[in-house]
Amino acid sequence: MTAAIGWRLFVRELQQGQLLLIILAITLAVLSVTGLASVSGRMQNAIAGEATKFIAADRVLSSPQAIDPTILAKADAANIQYVSNLQFNSMLFANDKLQLVTVRAVETGYPLKGQIELTSGPVDTIPAANSLWFEPRLVSLLGPTESVELGMAQFKLAESLARLPDGGFNPFASSPLVLMRLDDVAKTEIIQPGSRVTYLYHFVGANADMAQFEQTIKPLLTTTQRWTSPQSGDTPIANAINRAEQFLLLASLLGIALACAAIGIAAQRYSERHYDVVAMLKTFGASAKQIRQIFALHLGLVTFVGVLFGLLGGVCLDFGLSFLLPIEMQQYPAPMLRPILLGIATGIISAIMFSAYPLLKLLSIPPLRVINRDLQGVTLGSWLHVLLSLLAMSILGYLYSGSLKLTVIVIAAVVLMALLLAIVGYFMINASKGIGLRTATPLQLALAGLRRRSRQNAIQLVGFSSALVLLLTIFALRQDLLNEWQAQLPEKSPNYFLVNIAPSELSSITQFFNQHQIQSTDIYPVIRARLSMINGEQLISAEQEKQGDQGRVGISRELNLTWHDKLPANNAITQGQFNPSANSVSVESGVAERLDLELGDSLTFVIDQQAVTVVVDSIRQVQWESLQPNFFFIFNQQTLAPFAYTSMASFYLDNSQKDLVVDLIKQFPTVSVIDVGAIVTQLKQIVDQVSVALTLVMVLVLLASSLVMIAQTEAGMAVRRRELAVLRTFGATASLLKRATAYEFALLGAIAGLLAVIVAEFALYLLKTQIFELVVNWHWPWWILAPLLGAIIVASLGFVKCWQLLTLSCKELLQNH
Amino acid sequence: MNSASAIVVSNLTKTVSTQAGQLTILKGINLEVKSGETVAILGPSGSGKSTLLGLLAALDSPTSGEILLDGVSLTGLSEEQKADIRKQKLSFIFQSFMLVETLTALENVMLPAELAGIADAKQKALAMLDKVGLSHRLSHLPSQLSGGEQQRVAIARAFIANPKVLFADEPTGNLDHANGTMIADMLFELNAEQHTTLILVTHDNELAHLCQRQLVMNAGELSETVIDVAKEPVQ
Repeated sequence: MTAAIGWRLFVRELQQGQLLLIILAITLAVLSVTGLASVSGRMQNAIAGEATKFIAADRVLSSPQAIDPTILAKADAANIQYVSNLQFNSMLFANDKLQLVTVRAVETGYPLKGQIELTSGPVDTIPAANSLWFEPRLVSLLGPTESVELGMAQFKLAESLARLPDGGFNPFASSPLVLMRLDDVAKTEIIQPGSRVTYLYHFVGANADMAQFEQTIKPLLTTTQRWTSPQSGDTPIANAINRAEQFLLLASLLGIALACAAIGIAAQRYSERHYDVVAMLKTFGASAKQIRQIFALHLGLVTFVGVLFGLLGGVCLDFGLSFLLPIEMQQYPAPMLRPILLGIATGIISAIMFSAYPLLKLLSIPPLRVINRDLQGVTLGSWLHVLLSLLAMSILGYLYSGSLKLTVIVIAAVVLMALLLAIVGYFMINASKGIGLRTATPLQLALAGLRRRSRQNAIQLVGFSSALVLLLTIFALRQDLLNEWQAQLPEKSPNYFLVNIAPSELSSITQFFNQHQIQSTDIYPVIRARLSMINGEQLISAEQEKQGDQGRVGISRELNLTWHDKLPANNAITQGQFNPSANSVSVESGVAERLDLELGDSLTFVIDQQAVTVVVDSIRQVQWESLQPNFFFIFNQQTLAPFAYTSMASFYLDNSQKDLVVDLIKQFPTVSVIDVGAIVTQLKQIVDQVSVALTLVMVLVLLASSLVMIAQTEAGMAVRRRELAVLRTFGATASLLKRATAYEFALLGAIAGLLAVIVAEFALYLLKTQIFELVVNWHWPWWILAPLLGAIIVASLGFVKCWQLLTLSCKELLQNH
Repeated sequence: MNSASAIVVSNLTKTVSTQAGQLTILKGINLEVKSGETVAILGPSGSGKSTLLGLLAALDSPTSGEILLDGVSLTGLSEEQKADIRKQKLSFIFQSFMLVETLTALENVMLPAELAGIADAKQKALAMLDKVGLSHRLSHLPSQLSGGEQQRVAIARAFIANPKVLFADEPTGNLDHANGTMIADMLFELNAEQHTTLILVTHDNELAHLCQRQLVMNAGELSETVIDVAKEPVQ
């Protein structure tokens, strides 16, 4: 019987639109979570999938020795496909000339992801036996030739190589690359015990298989072996992927928080509307158990419908968005199960946790309310409500993001807002005592209204300010991230690098640029050196340290030094001043941190067997993604001028100018031109996709905000109607009441705006310093704009809602009441 | 106690805490109502009528004294036990009708029968609504009914579970004279038919006069009186 009552109440209230608000709130929460989880899942799949092309596989294991065959056996067992290849340096001989080259020896199947690009276009094969594919500059260096000697074997130079998918991006690579078959390596007799060779193993497989394989073999790896995934920071896009993912997560988390607030408010309204029903049911003898059953079923049905619509909406959202993605991204499927489970969990957890407090109050409504309508249920501590709400948000936040840090930041912002609201609430109740129900001026009436409705206003402030906080936070972060990406990759970002420019060619190259109106970066000299001492202390390598040697660890490889008289673009001084003198140097911040360098430390470099000692006089932060020549160490010209050097620059060519590259190579045969257009295109594509997602998230947040605001104004209407009726009856003019209402809402909006700015700045500070590693900047205009915006939005919303009431005559107000 | 007594009240007091201190609303009420008797409680606003009604109907607990309802003492009963007594023995009619706004007339009437686990709740509700002349208004919501019609739905609801005692709080208070008279007639007719004990709280002398006994509540004390119908209603 109780089930019948619960069902009937649900159906009738649904038909009459009474449940619209709470169902909408649950739908919105579920839709945000499901939609965003699938969209971001699809994007992650797409981005990660594209990123695997940069390492030519899903995972790469590199090792100085051939790996233990059991690892490959485990790969077979886990359905993981793999290819092996080798990389080493050797000398090529042709035309009586020797040239150092980097040899990559691959087996059939390589690359597992992406394609080898020849200058004539992409191919799906590898070199034939006894032939080499080569970088074009090799011919410039060796002179025209058809065959070359590598070790003890003779090879044909077959095809001109443009790019290997995992060729990486290293403009400093001085030796040209050649590609050969792995089974041809033996006859060269180059690989001997002790030879410096890198063994590379490329793996691909289904996500689950790969995860399992990864878990099995990672503990087996030695310290000299390296395991690489697209996200492990070695690809040019890893940073962009990680930030985009974090942002999507955060935006969704905030979206969920807002939808939860909407559920909370709607649940409050839902509960209040049922006070009389519960009192009546109790009067007619319904037991506590019966009432619990009725409302559990009722709320269960409400949640079910909300979750169902939310899931449908989420799937539609993902479906709709997939059409906005570039075609090559559409092929990546959205994950199905996780978004749906997350959506269901969100709907259920938020409905239960946010409704718990209002429902407890509802169930405690005394039956005597049928006689005394002012009676309410037991007043439970509002700390319980706060605790349950925070708990719900924490569980959902962690479930969704899997990031404790992000969840803690969001919760910290919520707690700060609760504290501020408590202070404002206390102020409104206590500081304006004595205002009473004066009706002298609209402003006094508005202030009196704020005070009288202080409890209700506190709830309204929660809605208004949380909506504004979210808007401000997401807006600022979106803008900062986009600005940052745009700054890294502005229109006409360099798409070619020019390296190995001889000093004698500098002026003609500059002339060539000017003649063809090519925009280039400054030209930087490059001098190879090793860092040998810091503050007079001899440095050791990381390998030596592992073997137990004592001493300060340096950088074991050769470094590229440059000189420059002004601070390069995309560099920012963090300590000291950029003014390298004959005996000073400017150091990049990452290297300074790694080597534990401070201003005033002395560094000794060995250049061309000569020691050069300089003092650190500035530390710079460098944007490594900027696709410009970037350097760890920048000297004064005087210090490095005595040494042999080549130069490098990067420049931009649009499609119509691509032929100039051929001219450039012809005119300067020893200069190497590296095409980085593919990387730029890829980076831009990611930025574009993320922009789409960010805009979508903004729209969702706006929708959620509007919902909360509508819920807010709806909640206050009944009380306001009674008051208006009384005030009109006692002679208050319509214009006085209209202005008072507008002022009251405007004041409320302004307070909400101010609270929102405080909380948003706090949240942004935490997010930028802890998650996004962005520069913290305060948004001073907001401190005026947000209260103003809050006042205008809330006043307009409130005024529109109240307008109808304000135009009613006194008689109509009283009658309807 | 007489075995035919529906309600026996002895030394009932109710004290509440206010900002000004303790306020005694009911001062040692003694009362006996026989089964099937109709009793009107009159008195000015604030005299304690509604408080007494709340206590008699097991909606509230007294500060001291005892109430026996159909032979069962309410003293020391839990809320659940009181709810059970209300479900089995009592029913209510209110001035403000107290219908569930979102349920139809039929569904509102079915509600107490369903709570009491009566199997053919719908058939009984249909019959009751027919008795109060609303069989053509079954699927109407309260907001689609006039005040008089809403109170007729409330009367049908009150009698559906054959209560032992019916408490009516100003049942005609929100109605015009014609509707008030019709509701009163309907109430007493059904009451007689089901032999229900009726406790009626009202300001209306004329309505009170329809009851077999009239009690006046004044400043928390109850006294038996004879009403002169020609006089102004008690205020």
